[in-house]
Parts: sequence; C-alpha cells; structure tokens
Amino acid sequence: MILRVKFTKKNYLRYISHLDLMRLFQRNFRRAGIPIKYSEGFNPHPKFSIANPLSLGIESEEEYMDIDLETKISVEDFKEKMNKVLPKDVQILESVYLKKGESISSLISWAFYEINFDINRGLDKLTLENIIEEWLNLDEIIITRLRKKGKNRVEKDEDIKTHIGNIVIKKLEDNNIIIDVLLRSGDKGNLKPMDFMEALNKYSSINIDMDSIMIKRLGLYAENNNKIYKPL
Amino acid sequence: MINTKKLDRILKKVEKPARYIGMEQNSIKKDLNNVNVKFAFSFPDVYEVGMSHLGLHILYNLLNSQEDIACERVFAPWIDMEEEMRKEGLPLFTLENKEEVSNFDFLGFTLQYEMSYTNILNMLDLSNIPLLSKNRNDNHPFIIAGGPCAYNPEPLADIIDFFVIGEGEEVTLEILNIYKMHKENNYDKDRFLKEIAQLEGVYVPKFYEVTYKEDGTIQKMEPTEKGVPKIIRKRMIKDLDKMFSPEKMIIPFIETVHDRITLEIFRGCTRGCRFCQAGMIYRPVREKSTERLLELAEKLVESTGYENISLSSLSSCDYSQLELLISQLMDRFEEKKVGVSLPSLRLDSFSIDVIKEIEKVRKTGLTFAPEAGSQRLRDVINKGINEKDLTTAVSYAFKEGWSTIKLYFMIGLPTETDEDVMGIKNLAYKVKDMFFSMPKEERKGNLKVTASASCFVPKPFTPFQWVSQDSIDEFNRKINLLRNSIKDNKVTFNYHDSKLSYLEAIVARGDRRLSKVLVKAWEKGCKFDGWSEHFQYDKWIEALEESRIDGSFYALRQRDIEEILPWDFINPGVSKEYLIKEYKKAVEGELTKDCRLGCTGCGINKCFTGGVCN
Repeated sequence: MILRVKFTKKNYLRYISHLDLMRLFQRNFRRAGIPIKYSEGFNPHPKFSIANPLSLGIESEEEYMDIDLETKISVEDFKEKMNKVLPKDVQILESVYLKKGESISSLISWAFYEINFDINRGLDKLTLENIIEEWLNLDEIIITRLRKKGKNRVEKDEDIKTHIGNIVIKKLEDNNIIIDVLLRSGDKGNLKPMDFMEALNKYSSINIDMDSIMIKRLGLYAENNNKIYKPL
Repeated sequence: MINTKKLDRILKKVEKPARYIGMEQNSIKKDLNNVNVKFAFSFPDVYEVGMSHLGLHILYNLLNSQEDIACERVFAPWIDMEEEMRKEGLPLFTLENKEEVSNFDFLGFTLQYEMSYTNILNMLDLSNIPLLSKNRNDNHPFIIAGGPCAYNPEPLADIIDFFVIGEGEEVTLEILNIYKMHKENNYDKDRFLKEIAQLEGVYVPKFYEVTYKEDGTIQKMEPTEKGVPKIIRKRMIKDLDKMFSPEKMIIPFIETVHDRITLEIFRGCTRGCRFCQAGMIYRPVREKSTERLLELAEKLVESTGYENISLSSLSSCDYSQLELLISQLMDRFEEKKVGVSLPSLRLDSFSIDVIKEIEKVRKTGLTFAPEAGSQRLRDVINKGINEKDLTTAVSYAFKEGWSTIKLYFMIGLPTETDEDVMGIKNLAYKVKDMFFSMPKEERKGNLKVTASASCFVPKPFTPFQWVSQDSIDEFNRKINLLRNSIKDNKVTFNYHDSKLSYLEAIVARGDRRLSKVLVKAWEKGCKFDGWSEHFQYDKWIEALEESRIDGSFYALRQRDIEEILPWDFINPGVSKEYLIKEYKKAVEGELTKDCRLGCTGCGINKCFTGGVCN
C-alpha cells in the first residue's frame, strides 16, 4: 500500500543531493522501524520514490514521496516516528494513504519557487515590472542546454516561454529582489530555476549578481483542466 | 563564528558542498561558551576520507562525553573550496559551530599517512596560525598530533607542539584535564608543557636536542629540560572491553569511503609480517569479547540505521570467536536487512567459508594479499602462506561462484630478484589457468584477475627499518618487466607511482631536519600529495634541493644496525633486539611462527602486560 508523504528540506540541508536524501530516508526508515517493502533480488532496496528531485543548493517547504508499505501504520504514528529520527531540516509534514491513482512523479507538472537575489544596478519596482513584462512578451525565449546523447553531450536550443507560468515581485529593496515564479516541472516539460534566472539575466537589463541567488521551492502542483492543485 | 553569508556564497560554487556543512546525524554541537576546553579534531585529508576513519569516531564521542569539553571536526578543504575560501577571506572553520579553528584550545591532527603532512601546513595557514611551533604564542591553539605515523614524529618536530604516541583514549583526557587545571591557576604555556611531558606517551619535541655526526647520522638525542623522560613509552589500553567504545557514529550525508558501521573487534596482530608497521606497533593482541561486541553492534545499528557492519581489525579472520560472532550478528540483524562484512581475508578455506556465509547471495570480488610473488620472498617477509594455500583458496572460491580475484603485491622487498618479480605474473596466470582448467559447465561468471603492485616503503619499528629502498629507476624497471610480460585480457596489472613511494620513504624515516623541507614543499604549492592528480614530484625535489637535503640519504641508504635512528627514543614495546633478530632471519629466509601458537619473544609482554599476552 502506498503512502504519499509531504516533507521539508531546508537550510544547510539544501546542499545534500537527491541521492544523499534517498540514503538519508533509507537509513531512517530502518531506524524508525517503518515496515517498508523491499525489492526482490540480489540487493534488496526499500521501495519509495521522491518526486521531481531538487537541484543541489535549493531548499524546499514542500517535497513529496510515495512509499510502499508492507503493513499499514497510522499516519500520525508514521510522522511521529520519522520526525524523531530525521534531522530538523528534513521533517515529515503530513501523509495520506492513496486509494488509487498516478504515481507522484507523473502527477507533478508545476513547481513554485521563491527566488532571492541581488542586482548590480539601481531599479524601482515599476521599471522592474516593465522589464519582466517586456521579457515575457518576447515571441520566444531560447536557452541552450547540454543534453546527454549516449556518450556524447550535445547542445540543444529550447524555447522556454511556455514553461514560465507567472512571475510575482514580492520585494525590492536596496538592490535586493525577491520574486515568486511558477515553472514547469516534470515529464511534460521542465525548467530549472537556475536556467530561468540565467535566461532572465541574459535577455533583460536587470543585471543580476548570479552568485547571490538563493532559491526555495514553495510547492509542487499537479494540473487538471487548466487548474493547478496540490497533490496532498 | 565565521561569516556564514560568505560561506553561503561559496557553498553554491563548490563540488560536494555537504563536505562543509556538518549537521550530520549523531554529530554533537555544544555551546562553546559553556565549555572549558575546545578541541578541534583535525584530519589532514578530505571529508570522505576522514569520516571513514574509526579513530575519529572514538575520540569525538569520548571527548564530547565530557561535559566541559567540546570536540568539533575539521577536514582539509578540497582544492576548489580552498580557492573560494582564500578569495572570500574565509578562515578554516569547524563543522559543528562553524567556529574559526584558531579560536580553539587544541588542534589535534591524526597522522595516518606521511604524504598528508603538507595538508597539515595548509590547514594551519588557512587558519591564520603560524606554521612553526616556535612562532606561536599563548593566543594560538596547541597543535598536537597522534596516530600511527607519530611513531616517527621527528619530521614534524618543528611544526607540532607535542605528540601522543600510541593509543589516545586515556592520555588525551589526562592532557585536557591538566590543561583545565593550569588554565584556572595563572597559566604558563611552558609550565603546562613540562607537566604533560611527564605523562606516559607524550613527546614535546622542543625539550630535546639532537646532534649529528659528520656523515649526517645522529650523534645523540638528549632532553634539554630536567625531568623530561629520555625514552618515550607508547600508551596502550589494557582492557578493550572496559575501554570507551562509541555507541554512536556520525552519519555523513554524502557517501564516504567506508559508509558503514565499523565494529572494532580487536587491536594488534600476531602474524609478524616483517614489512608491516601496524603489526609491530599495535601489539599485543587484545580482543573485545563477543558479548561486548554484540551489545555495541545492537546500539550502533539502532543509532545509525546503517545496513552493514564491518568487522574491523588488522586481521579479522584471526578473531578467536569469529564464527560465533558472525552467526550471532546475522541471527540478530537478518530481519533488519543488516549485513556483515570482513575487510580483509586470510588465504585459507576457513576464511572463504566465513565469507560464503555472509555473502549468501551476492558474490562480490575476493581480495587476497600474497604480498610477494615467490615462496622464497614470502618467507623473507614472513608472510606465512605458501602457494598451496593460495591455490586451495582460489579453487574453492571458483567452485563457490566467485570469478573476480584481486591479488596484492609489493615490489622492491629486501633481497628481491627479477625471478621474484616475475613470480607476480606467474601467480596471476596460475589463478587464470585454474579457472579455465575447470570443466566449462562448472565455471561461473566471467573471470577477472587483477594483480596490483605497490612499491615497498621501509617503515620505522619494523625488521626492515634499516634497509635501503629501491631507487625510482629500479622500481620502474621492475614494473616494466611485469607490464611487458602480462599480456592477457583476463589479467590486469596495476602499479603504484614509484616517485610517490620514494618521497613517502624519505618522510617515513626522516629526522627533524625534514621539517623545513615540508614547509618549503608546501610553499611551492604541494598539498593532497597522496592524490595522484595533485602530486607534484618536481616541486618536492626542488624543496629538497633548496633545503640542501639529500632525499636518498633517507630513502636509499642502507643503515648500519648500530646507527642511532631518529625514532629510537620511542619505545613501542617491541624490542630493538627482536627487530634485529627478525631482520637477520629475514635475510636467511627463516620463518617466525604466529605468536598465538607460542611466544616469539618480541618483548611486548615484558614491557606492558606483565609477562603474558592474552
């Protein structure tokens, strides 16, 4: 039976990779005595999957994973046992047993980010809004990405315009800007927030201090009939 | 605390930033304002290597178990991190409180490998601490060191304030307690040093003077202070069951070299291999009881969630209750999917039976260490195995389903001839032939034989401490002999860099005149010398030349038995007479039996255990 779990990954723990996070959960399922199912075969592994892996250096308020349990335990019990052994910056928020439905990875199609950065020029809010609007009104926004093709790496141009949902300016103060952005995430199209920032810096006159960028994922969303909703 | 805003900028730019964040499960962060002694456990290599070192976990938990002591960790930042830290002006910091290392009372370096010494200098420099002991004052931390390489402390004599020789579990606490007392009553650095110099196992280099003969060898080494011992006796823990053993290990977020529970089952080794320093300095053999080990394993599995327990020691198959221990561990942990592993294997069928038991399903490769290619040379080094042991073990392994075999050898062992060198090839080919001489239907898997050769480095406190090392050219000639003759797609030949082994030999048997070479090499940019991509041989040679030091004097010179060696003032328990006797037997190719089968008179029992070992 599948338990869908919502959890955090915050502060310095944004510097541990997706694989490190998998190992962290693996060890702590064992420590907490969670009756997780193991795969068959030579090298049994606990069965769980984390949706839309975060890039190294990005923190998150809401991540999701599906875990496959051998026997049912109450969601309160699960949360309590896990949070006791997990580090304070990775904590279970809530969880729910799935009746049926899609796996968490195929469900997610949007990610919502808060991006905090400094700029190397003076700018008022109105000008910033105009710059962004102008940028979003371009016919296409092309970025070049490195793709692995077998052993070779090939450069591929991609239009990311349709991958950008919206941009909200939250704060602008002393050359420091905070924006919220909704970006496509998942199999049906994917835009990494750093690629988004590079494109914004390249095609606009904002002049971003790229080293200052701090990114936090606020949530992940599924989409149905042009409406987005939280998977939990 | 360091400027964490700067740290954040840097972390986004470096490889594996989790090396520098701390916060791992079971790490301990105390309020540094509420403790009396701040101790920085310093490992002169990168995080993944340091975190795999058992001694770190022992001392870290031991020191932190004391309420008024805080022990934090610091590792050598990798090249990219160092560059960014220097750019931002960020000093070296500990992982727990992100506190500047220079604000600690002690920096304790562990010396696991001679070629990590330049990293010590680099770490001091990154901490804004003067490199030389004489240039540091009361405001600087004490720079101290211990670990196996401290058995010849002399090359670091100008850099380290004092050394701990032997096992550190007891003496470290004694030192820190004396420090606390001194701090409370108008503190004087020298008075403190003089007091701890009386402790068994503590060596303060500045209280000794060395004079040299015209030929460059040592005339004598004398204490310059009253009451400072002439001979430093190593420290040894008598009862491992009663000793502090950690019940927790820090669990790294990132993958490390040994990512598992390390369960230390005994210390010491009775085999008496003549090239092996560990086999001499860690005597006598002291086992932990099976009961105690099960108790510790239970707690460690509980506190870490690791899926594997590695039974660690110098020769784990020699543990007297091994079968019992393994079967009990497997019974207890099978349900939790926790496995057991052995880091080293003896060449006999008993060992393979054991490994068969613990690797029920997955057959990973088997590694054996014949060390030398011919029986004659194996007798010289007292390896105590013959070709029949190897063939029996290997054919048994093939029958049981293994097909990947690794063989470890050394080249340049004393008395070695080309015939001995070619014995390495012959042995590897023999293993291959054994596989294919089995009927086709009995062969399992795809055969892969790897023969690895390292270049022999003579070490202090071994029967070979007097011998000359092969020159780089001679090593390379022997390596080429093998390279040109091993031509088989089932047999791979690997070898170590002879230049690195030459420098290792210089430092391993060096005296205090080498301190200035270390500093010079570091000034020229040497660091992470043990990492082949960063090893700069030419810079080292320049450093030696500019310091007017002849490297060959240390590496290549055959010493006279009468010569006063730089480490002679240390007493490891094993007597010099025994080492001489063993050296003479080696040259004659005479074996010395495993001392579990009867005392061979190494002297450790007279020195430490009141006449009996176990």
